[in-house]
Amino acid sequence: MNISRRNFIFGSIASSVFISLWDIDPSKAEIKIGDNPEDKKLLMKMCRDVYPHDRFPEGPYEKTAADVISKGNKGSENKAMLSEGIESLKKVKYGKMNFKKSTKYLKKIESSKFFQHVRSTTVVTLYNDPEVWGLLGYEGASFDKGGYINRGFNDLDWLPEPRIEEHPDLAAFLKADPNRLAAIEEMIKTN
Amino acid sequence: MKKIDQKEKAVVIIGSGAGGGTMAYELTKAGIPCVCLEAGPFHKKEDYVNDEWGAFLQMAWLDTRTTSGNWRVAKDFSGLPTWLCKAVGGTTTHWAGATPRFMDYEFKTKSTYGKVKGASLLDWPVSLKDMEPYYTRAEDAIGSTHRGGRPALPANNNYKVFAEGAKRVGYKYYATGPYGTNAAPYDGRPGSIQDGFNFQGDKNGSKWSTAKREIPRALQTNLLDLRTDSHVTRITHDKNGMVDGVIYRDVDGNEQRQEAKVVILSGNSIESPRLLLMSDSSMFPDGLANSSGEVGRNYMRHLTGSMYARFEKPVNFYRGETMAGFCADEVKHNPKRGFVGGYYMETLALGPAFLGSFLEPGGWGREFTNMMDGYENIAGMWIVGEDMPQSKNRITLNTDVKDQYGNPVPNVHFDEHPNDIAMRTYAYEKAEDLYNSVGAVQTWRTPPYPSTHNLGTNRMSAKPKDGVVNKWGRTHDIKNLYIADGSVMTTGAAANPTLTITALSIRFSENVISEIKKGNI
Repeated sequence: MNISRRNFIFGSIASSVFISLWDIDPSKAEIKIGDNPEDKKLLMKMCRDVYPHDRFPEGPYEKTAADVISKGNKGSENKAMLSEGIESLKKVKYGKMNFKKSTKYLKKIESSKFFQHVRSTTVVTLYNDPEVWGLLGYEGASFDKGGYINRGFNDLDWLPEPRIEEHPDLAAFLKADPNRLAAIEEMIKTN
Repeated sequence: MKKIDQKEKAVVIIGSGAGGGTMAYELTKAGIPCVCLEAGPFHKKEDYVNDEWGAFLQMAWLDTRTTSGNWRVAKDFSGLPTWLCKAVGGTTTHWAGATPRFMDYEFKTKSTYGKVKGASLLDWPVSLKDMEPYYTRAEDAIGSTHRGGRPALPANNNYKVFAEGAKRVGYKYYATGPYGTNAAPYDGRPGSIQDGFNFQGDKNGSKWSTAKREIPRALQTNLLDLRTDSHVTRITHDKNGMVDGVIYRDVDGNEQRQEAKVVILSGNSIESPRLLLMSDSSMFPDGLANSSGEVGRNYMRHLTGSMYARFEKPVNFYRGETMAGFCADEVKHNPKRGFVGGYYMETLALGPAFLGSFLEPGGWGREFTNMMDGYENIAGMWIVGEDMPQSKNRITLNTDVKDQYGNPVPNVHFDEHPNDIAMRTYAYEKAEDLYNSVGAVQTWRTPPYPSTHNLGTNRMSAKPKDGVVNKWGRTHDIKNLYIADGSVMTTGAAANPTLTITALSIRFSENVISEIKKGNI
């Protein structure tokens, strides 16, 4: 199964899910586009500008940029896309742009294949990273720990305890003729 | 396990989900041997994983499909129009568990709503009164909470926000169910441990699915020949126009044939019409059971949408049962709201992996990450309402694209009806009011996911010219061909469909059993 088929399956927006999760065997391309510290730094900045989380350390963005590079090296078409994309970032001195300017620039190139590659890879890889789960306060897999039944599934204490049973009038409400119900509501409103 | 010879004329069930799994159980319980052909593998509860993408790749139906129409899914997920499962248990492995019944008038929407331009509304040939005993049996099979004396699930964090918001905006009809996951041990399955991975199969086995109940029990009768990884590609017929066998690919991709005296098709609203269309012949040039031309038409996917809201304080909505929160106040038909039909609100929680991909497909930037960054403080709900059947919304064969066996893939065409859009807009506003009443600092209108409720493509009708099957699920055209799945739904109602599919299958099975015992088929 090649990349274009994966793109086809999921559609352009979410294609990277398949690329991210099905390709456990990264291509051993001879020339790796973007696989040098300078380019990687540039892509890390782009990943962070597209999905900015000020409190996240560099680690998750570094892993995400590595994924952007790895997937961008699959096939000659992708390589050309990644190479052109990085060159255009350099040309506009993207590395020196502040967040506001970066966002404005990214908005301009939003429909490009390069932007879509970076964005769609990042949204899957970044938010599927257990390090990010920890940062966001998501505890993830729980079955082996006995679920959340004794670990806070109902620990919210800033609102009152709600009723869990159905309202005694529910059965009558569901049975009522809808036209009659509407007429009664109207009557209440106008009175 | 029972072995039925491929040359023996058998009762053949295609699919093992809410429809097929229920049929296999009811028929074998009545002493009738069956072959059940399931396209996917048999995952046991120990195989399920507490990981969103991992579980998705384990059980989702990922065969190639194409899309068209103005629905946003065609743009965002062009190759994944639905979120169904390829596994023993079908989509009951993934289903959330909400089990509302249809209301009486939802079986007769044409009479109740009147003429709706562009909609192909039709009254069902069955009524709520006909269905009530089967609903009770289905609820008892599933173990629906709040029904049959079964206890309610406790309030989880997401429900606390939802219920208090509902109360503050003046809603009355909220509760933690009815829901198809045990609050207390029932029917051999344990009570929920609130692990939060209900969509991922539920490793604890508290959630009902046909993979956990009906199929194992049918196997225990020693009358069921369950063939997994067996993908049916054609139903054949004899010169009298009666179906007489099915062709399928086995686990190695080799073509096999099973002779049949009765075929029960339970492949869901995409694969069931596709199979009928692919089984065309010189006698049936438009496909099997398609004299009405209705096979594949009137595809419905429920009006859906989600509302996520961020608060100042923690919610941790991912902990606990995913959809154990229900509100019915907007479900009644009331055209004064600007649309016909109604909708339910149901709690929903996603992990960061799914929320990132589905909150706003294609979305990025600070506003998006503000929401994600407040993950701990998010509450969420799903909006599920009746969408309008339309004749042009349909499953067709896309002969330009072939699947892994060289067969045309199904194309799913869906254009939203103005009524769907009006209802969704209204529902978003009401959901915002609900969350704002408890102090939301940011709300998000999330568009529909790939469809989990797929309905109506082999609709049930009183008259043969209006639909594909009669009130017993038997095709109007071929007396030994039945359909038992969501595709038989004449209209969609607002209710999550699994309970109704299960209840219909129990009802249909009585007719199948009686016709077989009388020697009519």
